Amino acid sequence: MRWGMVIDLKRCIGCYGCQLSCKAENGTPPGVFFARVHKQEEGQYPTAQTTFLPVLCNHCDDPPCVDVCPTGASFVWEDDGIVDIDADKCVGCRSCMMACPYSQRFLNDDPQNYYGDQGATPYEQARVERHQTGVVMKCNFCRDRVRNGQDPACVENCPTIARYFGDLDNPNSEVSRLIRERSGFPLHPEKGTNPNVYYLPA
Amino acid sequence: MTSTNSGRYEQLIKDYQTEYRPQREWSEGRGFFLILGHFLVGVAAGAWLFGLFFQDKISLLAGFVLAGLGGLAHLANLARPERFILMMLRTATSWVSRGFWGLTLFLIGSVIYLPSLMFSDTFWQSDSVIADVGVVFSIAGSIIMMAYMGFVYTASKAIAFWNSTLHPVLYISYALRGGAAAHLLSLAFQGEAVSGGSDILIFWIAVTVTVIVLWIFEIQGALTSGEEAAVHSVHDILAGRLALYFYVGILLIGLFVPVFLMAGIIAPLSPTLFALIGLTSVAGDFFMKFSSIKAGVFSPVRLYSGNNRRATRRRKI
Amino acid sequence: MDDVPQNLTNAAETTGEVDDKWVSSSCSLCYASCSIKAHRVNGTVIKIEGNPESAVGKGRLCGKGVSGIMSHYDPNRLNKPMKRTNPEKGKGVDPMWEEISWDEALDTVAGKLKALREDDPRKLLIMRTTTVMTQHIPPFAFMSAFGTPNASAAGGGLHCGNGAHLISGIMHSSWSIVPDFQYCNYAVYFGASKGHAAGHASCSNMTMAADARARGMKMVVVDPFANQAGANSTEWVPIRVGTDAGLALAMANVLVNELEMYDVAYLKAKTNMPYLIGNDTRYIRDSETNKPMVWDSATSQACTFDKTDSADMAIEGTYMVDGKQCRPGFVLMKEHLKTYTVERGEEITTIPAENIRRIATEFAEEARIGSTIVIDGVTVPYRPVAAIAFRGSQGHKNSTYNMLSVDLLNHLVGAADVAGGCLGFNPACDGYPETGRLKYIPHPDPDGLMITGSWMGPHGPYPIGDPAPPERVGLQNLFPMAMGSVFQGSTDQEEMWEKFDFDYRPEFLLNLGANQIMSVGNSDAVEASLKKFKFIVSFDIFATETTEFADIVFPDCGYLETTDSRSNFPFIFSLPAGLGEWCWPIRQEVVEPEGERRLFADVLQELGDRIGITPDLNAAYNAWFELEGENRLKPDRKYTFAEIGDHDLKDKFGPDKGLDYFKEHGLVKWPKKPNEVYWRAFTDVRVPLYWEWMNDTWEKTMAIAEPKGLDIPKEYYSPLPDWLPCPSHECDHEDFDFYAFYYRDIVHTNSLTMENAWLDEAAQLDPYSYNIAINASVGREKGLQSGDLISVENEHGHKVEGRARLTETIHPEGLGIGACAGHWARRMPTAKGKGVFFNDLVELDWHHSSPSNLTVDLCAKVKVTKLEAAQ
Ligand SMILES: Nc1nc2c(c(=O)[nH]1)N[C@H]1C(S)=C(S)[C@@H](COP(=O)(O)OP(=O)(O)OC[C@H]3O[C@@H](n4cnc5c(=O)[nH]c(N)nc54)[C@H](O)[C@@H]3O)O[C@H]1N2
Ligand SMILES: Nc1nc2c(c(=O)[nH]1)N[C@H]1C(S)=C(S)[C@@H](COP(=O)(O)OP(=O)(O)OC[C@H]3O[C@@H](n4cnc5c(=O)[nH]c(N)nc54)[C@H](O)[C@@H]3O)O[C@H]1N2
Ligand code: SF4
Ligand code: SF4
Ligand code: SF4
Ligand code: SF4
Ligand code: SF4
Ligand SMILES: [Mo]
Repeated sequence: MRWGMVIDLKRCIGCYGCQLSCKAENGTPPGVFFARVHKQEEGQYPTAQTTFLPVLCNHCDDPPCVDVCPTGASFVWEDDGIVDIDADKCVGCRSCMMACPYSQRFLNDDPQNYYGDQGATPYEQARVERHQTGVVMKCNFCRDRVRNGQDPACVENCPTIARYFGDLDNPNSEVSRLIRERSGFPLHPEKGTNPNVYYLPA
Repeated sequence: MTSTNSGRYEQLIKDYQTEYRPQREWSEGRGFFLILGHFLVGVAAGAWLFGLFFQDKISLLAGFVLAGLGGLAHLANLARPERFILMMLRTATSWVSRGFWGLTLFLIGSVIYLPSLMFSDTFWQSDSVIADVGVVFSIAGSIIMMAYMGFVYTASKAIAFWNSTLHPVLYISYALRGGAAAHLLSLAFQGEAVSGGSDILIFWIAVTVTVIVLWIFEIQGALTSGEEAAVHSVHDILAGRLALYFYVGILLIGLFVPVFLMAGIIAPLSPTLFALIGLTSVAGDFFMKFSSIKAGVFSPVRLYSGNNRRATRRRKI
Repeated sequence: MDDVPQNLTNAAETTGEVDDKWVSSSCSLCYASCSIKAHRVNGTVIKIEGNPESAVGKGRLCGKGVSGIMSHYDPNRLNKPMKRTNPEKGKGVDPMWEEISWDEALDTVAGKLKALREDDPRKLLIMRTTTVMTQHIPPFAFMSAFGTPNASAAGGGLHCGNGAHLISGIMHSSWSIVPDFQYCNYAVYFGASKGHAAGHASCSNMTMAADARARGMKMVVVDPFANQAGANSTEWVPIRVGTDAGLALAMANVLVNELEMYDVAYLKAKTNMPYLIGNDTRYIRDSETNKPMVWDSATSQACTFDKTDSADMAIEGTYMVDGKQCRPGFVLMKEHLKTYTVERGEEITTIPAENIRRIATEFAEEARIGSTIVIDGVTVPYRPVAAIAFRGSQGHKNSTYNMLSVDLLNHLVGAADVAGGCLGFNPACDGYPETGRLKYIPHPDPDGLMITGSWMGPHGPYPIGDPAPPERVGLQNLFPMAMGSVFQGSTDQEEMWEKFDFDYRPEFLLNLGANQIMSVGNSDAVEASLKKFKFIVSFDIFATETTEFADIVFPDCGYLETTDSRSNFPFIFSLPAGLGEWCWPIRQEVVEPEGERRLFADVLQELGDRIGITPDLNAAYNAWFELEGENRLKPDRKYTFAEIGDHDLKDKFGPDKGLDYFKEHGLVKWPKKPNEVYWRAFTDVRVPLYWEWMNDTWEKTMAIAEPKGLDIPKEYYSPLPDWLPCPSHECDHEDFDFYAFYYRDIVHTNSLTMENAWLDEAAQLDPYSYNIAINASVGREKGLQSGDLISVENEHGHKVEGRARLTETIHPEGLGIGACAGHWARRMPTAKGKGVFFNDLVELDWHHSSPSNLTVDLCAKVKVTKLEAAQ
């Protein structure tokens, strides 16, 4: 069992729905984005093109973030391949942030809230303040949801159905099939991380 | 309390707006202590080794104190310092963990060895087995300390500029140069004459040349690595946000001034000059580390890289 | 749940129960009103997700929708009624708010309204925001009950708007148009982001458009900027701002005169192209019945349009009828289009002539004229092409014709409301099966032309009324094709009122959310118009820039505190078009109103009660909600808006399906049938491609306007569409070399969401949202680079500032500014100073608006000056 995600760039419209539904699901503090959307231009007028590139933790098979972690706070769930962080063990050394070639790790520095001096909103009190501070955070493929039989929040919400989630170990899963049939590829394979998030060409 | 109207947050958002986002985690705020820590333990290890070699108590003592301070600085870098002990757990893969062991070994070793040297009548003799164990521990610890830092940076895959395999060698060289400088200071402190320092000066020159050569290789490597982020870092050092540190801190203070002093152009080499050479050399090393750590720029995440080449989606008009 | 907040805030605390509920409701971060489920735990909303049961959004939300929590819990929201203590009003002037009791606030306002109504009810102007769908009917009801003709949306000028809704209404019986994503193979977008960032049924369309692209639908996006729809296109066609009619007419010319590929059967049966037109440009009418006549080629004589088989109607030739020489409308159309050669098209639009020809050819070929398809056992015409337009192309002085020219393409190939073609949003509905209610269908007027079956306002888009001496503050009586009007905030409004001998002036503004000083045009003009009001009451959720002009502020409930029986009706607005389901969701309170907030609709009821118009209000609601039988409101009872909603729901869905049922189930839905979706083939109505009334309308308008010294340019009133320039195209000042335009950013809705901290953060990270997009090579030639602070100035000296963003994805003459940004209100700290306030470049006067529908021209020729280099 190895959870993976497929993002179809032909469908994605760069709506930030993943970035924001992830925020809502996980109550991430200001400046922390488990999911993000990059916009990148290529080519020249008039054939130039903007590509929308949604990114998240790739739950790499060979995660440098886990290798460098001195405490074992960063680890891989053996049963499903999810790369996760045990907040109780993290010392906040940030080595993993320097190791992740995809910028997918964030330090939850101090208590933070979105409306500054006006204080934490009731939502933030309920959802943001439960996170430990002084530790590094990242996407964990919404493991609680997934274990509940749901898709990750960003997958379930994506308005264009550009995101798919499933078992990459199973050759018959939708994700495996999509990768096979539409030549899915991961980001920066040259980094040797063996990501479990794949992209389908636009 | 950090919130959306804090300067730190604004800086973060500004960084994310740029393609080549500078790393700040290991250079600003509490991150400064990591630079300091790496600097201190580097010099400490060098000083210790030189101290052992020349049987120079002051260098040894300095090495011990600096390593202790360096250790504290390392802790100050942690957002959760109270959990530091957990950092011993992952030596199989983590250089930070290994460095932690190195420092621990060193501190244990030096705590064992130093008393034999300082208060040999109260404790054990410096040629006792106990002291020998201390020496072995401390040497092993020093070597790990010198080396681990470079590997920590090399293992930081997000920062192309640090990825070079030269990094560990470079850090070892820094440590040695730092050790030499510490020894010079120690000599100055003891009022030793020029003659007594000539070996160490020659060593200093040799290691400095090594550092320069390695550094040029590293820059060259960064420029030809095909990693735009690394090129960006080099640019930041040579002509960008860090240029001042490079030209003033590294070149002027760390290289020209000591060489100038050494050449005896100003005055014959006196203990004061020894001290100055040591200090400027050490300061230069600090700026070297400071700027190369600060120059770290995250590689942007791109859709197509390496073997992934894009097919044109849109019809050409 | 392991993350129950410590401070339990509601009854659960005392009972020891844990409150944990998913409440079905509707989003309101934009007017698409997608169906949501809000997760409430111990009184706190901790998540908003889409409601997968619903056809509106189908369980998926855009980034704004999921971020509604942040707008809801914004500490800057209004919680108490306030009055100003600083009598001086102005942009940025501190009103020095003082909190007051509801009683004081209501007394003051009711007192003023009562006096005003006795004096002259017309002096009341009701303004509402377009962004919030709840605010659709109560303001109209209050308007009718109070007796004022003056109500308008979003400050007037209706950017969305006037042209798009008029033409969509006349031609598709709907508020807007969209490709039939399920079957369309080739869609040409003229300045619309439907399915990619904005528009009606915004989020639902995103899913459908993605399906269509995945299926292989080609998308040709005509837009000066390719950062949204253009980025997903098969082909991006950069166009000079404001010239879409030039392109569309040149394409039409290729279809009709070069390729001769058009749907003859459709033109004969479904349009007025066979109607005979005399040399006086009017229909040849039957002397007895007054009906328009056609030439019956079977009998070789003229007859009224309803007296022969449409297949026999001639659309070519010249005839003599009753001694008058006449030709079918199509002949005139063909002749007219000949002047729009592709070369002329290139000159107007900058699009190479060959490309225009190629795109037109592809469009014609893909149309498969004459083909049919069987869907669910029903045979319907199949024309898998669509030409779509919205705000971008029609927000110009030539608003009406820009939109009409684009839609003409659909009608020429018969691709209107057929499978694969250009669809209106649900123009026909057979009704809810269990009650037969909600049945509506377009029907013909005596001339055979289509009258809508359902509409958003008091009267439909067609037939066009007769111009009358103006009485409404926006002069819409004189301009019957206008919905909103520039004159609500223009610099020349007083001049106009004087010209037309207005015997009153608007004195009292009842503002329901609209932030008109930001949303309409340059703020100097709107400021001046706001200062003229003797009294302003604003219902708002934030102390916006406009609300800063108010004398009394009422804190309204936000959408999570509101119950509304029709969050998504009329179906012609934001229910997804095409096959699928009819779906009627509601909006309901997820949490109780915080502070002293009260729902504006209930406050209107209270005010109505205090000024003694409750019976009128109830009658108005009966009419607006079309309540029947025992569901009609009783004259004297004061109802809450939720109670009225209960009546509405029972009236439409039966006694067992009142508010309680909907609160529990969230919605009612039933399947759409092919004959509803593709109604055009099954409905005997025609649409005008030849706008015969235009000359009459012009003459009648001139008869009123000319004596008052207002000249109405005739070229805006001819029966066949033309490309006519914007004022920006006529600007020849040196150094004014960019056409500035705005576009909707995908993470922001108008000016509303700028205060939402999550969305603001996302927008800050977006390369374009808060910056000024300029073509990279042009920018570099001017010595600009990304991040430079620049000033953008129009030829009238109005300026805005912002940071440049050089991009390869914008037309060299274009200068694009996102969203409705640049807030300055003191109580909106997140929004304050973010992004660029485009609208200060928009001139508000007669010269800069459409002489036929009063839409404000949204482009400006501008000069760019560098103020400060990028840091
Ligand atoms: N630059 C620029 N200008 C534009 C546009 C643009 O995209 N860019 N869009 C144009 C178009 S098409 C339109 S329709 C108009 C829209 O213009 P407006 O109708 O003025 O809409 P908004 O700017 O969203 O402002 C709506 C305001 O309503 C208030 N509000 C929100 N929810 C509620 C509620 O539940 N109750 C009450 N009482 N108030 C509420 C908020 O304070 C918000 O600021 O703007 C037009 N102007
Ligand atoms: N995300 C989001 N969704 C919204 C709204 C919002 O503010 N944000 N507002 C809602 C409202 S009120 C409305 S009215 C709709 C509007 O929905 P749209 O009409 O789709 O919105 P716009 O982005 O204003 O215009 C569409 C495109 O027109 C382009 N454009 C500008 N000028 C021209 C021109 O002269 N010619 C051509 N061909 N293109 C041009 C712009 O670059 C833009 O890409 O969206 C609704 N939905
Ligand atoms: S939610 Fe879906 S469509 Fe939107 S940016 Fe993310 S992946 Fe793309
Ligand atoms: S993407 Fe980064 S954080 Fe995620 S597993 Fe890979 S290396 Fe670790
Ligand atoms: S910050 Fe935490 S998770 Fe990251 S490497 Fe250090 S201990 Fe491990
Ligand atoms: S899987 Fe969950 S945590 Fe990861 S990006 Fe998606 S929503 Fe966020
Ligand atoms: S499209 Fe509009 S209504 Fe739908 S989720 Fe987005 S903001 Fe809400
Ligand atoms: Mo609009």
